[in-house]
Amino acid sequence: MMLWNRLEYLWPAWRRREEREMREELGSLTAIAGSQELGNLTLAMEDVRATWGWTWLESIFADLRYSLRALGGQPAFVAVAVLSLALAIGANSAIFSFADALLLRPLPVKSPAALLDVSSTTPDNPLEGMSFPDYRDLRDKSRSFSGLAAYRLSSLAAAANPAAPAQIRFVDLVSDNFFSVMGVTPSAGRAFAPDEATASAQPVAMVSYDFWQENYASDDSVVGSHLRLNGIVFTIIGVTPESFIGLDRFVRPSIFVPLGMTQRLGARPADPLEDRGRHDLVVKGRLSAGTSRESAQAELATIGAALEREYVKTNRNRHMAVRTELERRIRETPQLLALVKMLIGLVALILIIACSNVANLLLARARTRSREIAIRLSIGAARSRVVRQLMTESLMVAMAGGVAGLFVAYGGILLLNMQSVPSDPPNVLGVQLDWRVVEFSLLAALGSCIFFGLAPAWQAARTDFVSALKTGGDGASGKGRTFGRDVLVAGQIALAMVVLIAAGMFLAGFRNMLVMPPEFRTDHLISLDTAPAALHYSPAQTKAFYRRLVDRVRAMPGVAGVAMTEALPLSPSQTAITVVPEGYQFPKGREKAIEFGAAVAAAYFSTLNVEIKRGRAFTDDDRAGSRPVAIVNQQFAKTYWPGQDPIGKRIRLGSADGPAAEVVGVAKTGHYLAVNEAPAPYVYVPYQQNPRPGMTLVVQSVGDAGALAKPLRDAVRSIDGNVPVFNLRTVATLYESRVTDTWLNFFQMVGTMGFIGLALATTGLYGLVAYTVSRRVKEFGIRVAVGASHRDVVWLVERRGLILAGVGIAAGGVLSAVTAPMLAAGFPGLGVSSPAVYVLVPLALLMVSAIASYVPARRAAGLDPLRALRNE
Amino acid sequence: MDLLQGTLDMLVLRTLLAGSLHGYGIAKNIRSTSNEALDIEFGSLYPALKRLEAKGWIASGWETSEHNRRAKFYKLTAAGRKHLVREHSKWADFVSAVGRIMGTSPEVKG
Repeated sequence: MMLWNRLEYLWPAWRRREEREMREELGSLTAIAGSQELGNLTLAMEDVRATWGWTWLESIFADLRYSLRALGGQPAFVAVAVLSLALAIGANSAIFSFADALLLRPLPVKSPAALLDVSSTTPDNPLEGMSFPDYRDLRDKSRSFSGLAAYRLSSLAAAANPAAPAQIRFVDLVSDNFFSVMGVTPSAGRAFAPDEATASAQPVAMVSYDFWQENYASDDSVVGSHLRLNGIVFTIIGVTPESFIGLDRFVRPSIFVPLGMTQRLGARPADPLEDRGRHDLVVKGRLSAGTSRESAQAELATIGAALEREYVKTNRNRHMAVRTELERRIRETPQLLALVKMLIGLVALILIIACSNVANLLLARARTRSREIAIRLSIGAARSRVVRQLMTESLMVAMAGGVAGLFVAYGGILLLNMQSVPSDPPNVLGVQLDWRVVEFSLLAALGSCIFFGLAPAWQAARTDFVSALKTGGDGASGKGRTFGRDVLVAGQIALAMVVLIAAGMFLAGFRNMLVMPPEFRTDHLISLDTAPAALHYSPAQTKAFYRRLVDRVRAMPGVAGVAMTEALPLSPSQTAITVVPEGYQFPKGREKAIEFGAAVAAAYFSTLNVEIKRGRAFTDDDRAGSRPVAIVNQQFAKTYWPGQDPIGKRIRLGSADGPAAEVVGVAKTGHYLAVNEAPAPYVYVPYQQNPRPGMTLVVQSVGDAGALAKPLRDAVRSIDGNVPVFNLRTVATLYESRVTDTWLNFFQMVGTMGFIGLALATTGLYGLVAYTVSRRVKEFGIRVAVGASHRDVVWLVERRGLILAGVGIAAGGVLSAVTAPMLAAGFPGLGVSSPAVYVLVPLALLMVSAIASYVPARRAAGLDPLRALRNE
Repeated sequence: MDLLQGTLDMLVLRTLLAGSLHGYGIAKNIRSTSNEALDIEFGSLYPALKRLEAKGWIASGWETSEHNRRAKFYKLTAAGRKHLVREHSKWADFVSAVGRIMGTSPEVKG
């Protein structure tokens, strides 16, 4: 009741009404009794107003006004403090937006927190998709979710109108309730109806906002017109809103069609939606009101167990897992989590360095202001009031830094967005400056304000005002005068060193990568992807298509060799093979492993120059009908047959009942998905024995690889003009973007942080040394007067700077001994043990510190002793 | 005569026990009842009234006064009545304790 009363008075309308009421009442009493009789009414009213709890807000305005005036008088202090904070907060915000794009950003749906991921898991694969029959049962039986939607991302040959040539586009095949569960309303037309979900329904599609803009010039009349997908004509019924960019990171679907179209789009003999063993759907569920994630998980576990009992063959050991979107993403891309953790950790150090800088400046300033503070205290200001005043000033500096930091962040985001993998359809990183980043920046500013503002404010308020007023100097005395500030500066140098060492490790990693030969040939190679499946080729037709394509390309002038693979190493999408290595004892509950792997055609190893360490490569004799064979990499052999000879071992493909392939060779371990991945097992199988619906053609050129682009496209056209060709690019381009550029980007990011850290720490050191010089003017004057040489004085000041730097470097060395192995764990391939880093970084720091202290040192030595002494 | 802290609140509540009064009326009433010993100025009484109202011990409303003038009248609420009973017994205890120590007026020999 009382609290409520206080709150009410916060509203100006309420306050005005109270004010009016009070004046009216007092007016009426004056009329009754006369003003003489009533006493000091002005004071009475002021006392009453104080009880309204409104005055504190007025006093805050007073604080703000006063702060502005105080800060306005010290433009240099404000500039350095705001600039320090702007750099650090900007770097933090840019990294936050990067992390947001990689991992953190919520799904573009209505109340994303209530939308959970539902996966079907086995001990062998914690992230497997859901089969449609399992999804259907779940949707019928579950009470925990108000809606469960399923979708599958796929790339199909799309033509914006039936006459246009087809291009590969990302298409989401979605359940009929997809858009209602997401809470997404079409910006034009309508979403799918339940009767459009069946396989026999009229083909209907929705298009994304971007696709609509690009192909239909944002014309609303697109609803009702037609587009073609894999040769089938679809009627467009709606356009998704601009904000809805799909549920997958890095890719944006252009078209949405009902899941019921799966069979027709793939021209499959059986309906994949009726196959309980086919796990390729992503399922998202919206929690019912009042249901917790735990109870949803418990219910799904029960349903999963019932399905396991009923469908032993397909659902053995299969469980249902309910996860948040973030958990799913972390499982999908653990290497991104390592990256994000590292970047956020390092950039947080930068913020600490910047805060120490501002704290240092404030401490120096509080000293010079101690006289003013002493006066305020002596005329009766409460210490808490003085602390509040100083905190208000800190807050204003912090907020200015936060806002300026947004501009720095914007620049950083522009740079971050420049990194991308050339692919088609394009991948999108989508680093952007949005409200989340703005909020983050302001929170960072607020947090740093508490960090840097509190201690100096407290110290100022402890001022002994009697001695401060008497001496006219600062109220503090004795040796401990700058001890706190020394610690701050040494700490800054230590943290800057940690960041610089990290940058050095990345630089060394980058250099190693440039010096080391790639794990496969990248020069004179061009690759292209084809999708004959888009034309409903039968497996036999696909095989024939690739045979003719390889023959034709091999006969082309300027071609030195041709190979095929399901997935090029280091291309963004990698394929996997389920394996049961003979003789390997799986942990309890597991029975197979899913490892990177690809079907490759004969000349793969020689064309890409992938070294065969033992045994042999595939030959033309490894064909359909001959003994099944496989080649594993060294890591595979090490993982599954440690200490044994892998040659002659057998691997069951697909499951324990699958065909057994004999290992005939061991290839060198490389990187397959990312440059910072730990060594991963890889298995190769011959294409002829394991035909696939879509392959990547890799062509070795005699001359410039890029010159083959047009002839290659023509070669595909001459076999079948309707087969879509995509990702036509030189392997060097791919390698550069995935490896060289990635390392370079890492280095640039960490290097920029290191540079900012160094600059801030140097500013801090300079500020402290300059401050001590200004405090010791008298002492230096005397020293010079009694005959100290120029060099003596310079050394006196320099020594102080170098001692601080030395302490900081030592502490930084100890810290780095902890952080460097942590970094190395997340980034195999870093130049961890590069001695140059551990020598060069401390040397650079010492040098910069020496320069930073030399400037004030020279000023100290150049003092005119007479004037210095007179000044005091 | 100076008032002890909180005594003013008690006096106001006690005065309103007899019936509702406007602010000046309360001040006048206290003065006359105490035989002019407690000369409380309305200016210092008024903030106390507002404080008591915020605590919910008294409530106010516009009424017409004896001279046919509109004024804001204050009356005791149920919570205020309860508070007064509590304060009153505390006060009685205090007075009797002090009275036991002080006894009758001593004769001071000079």
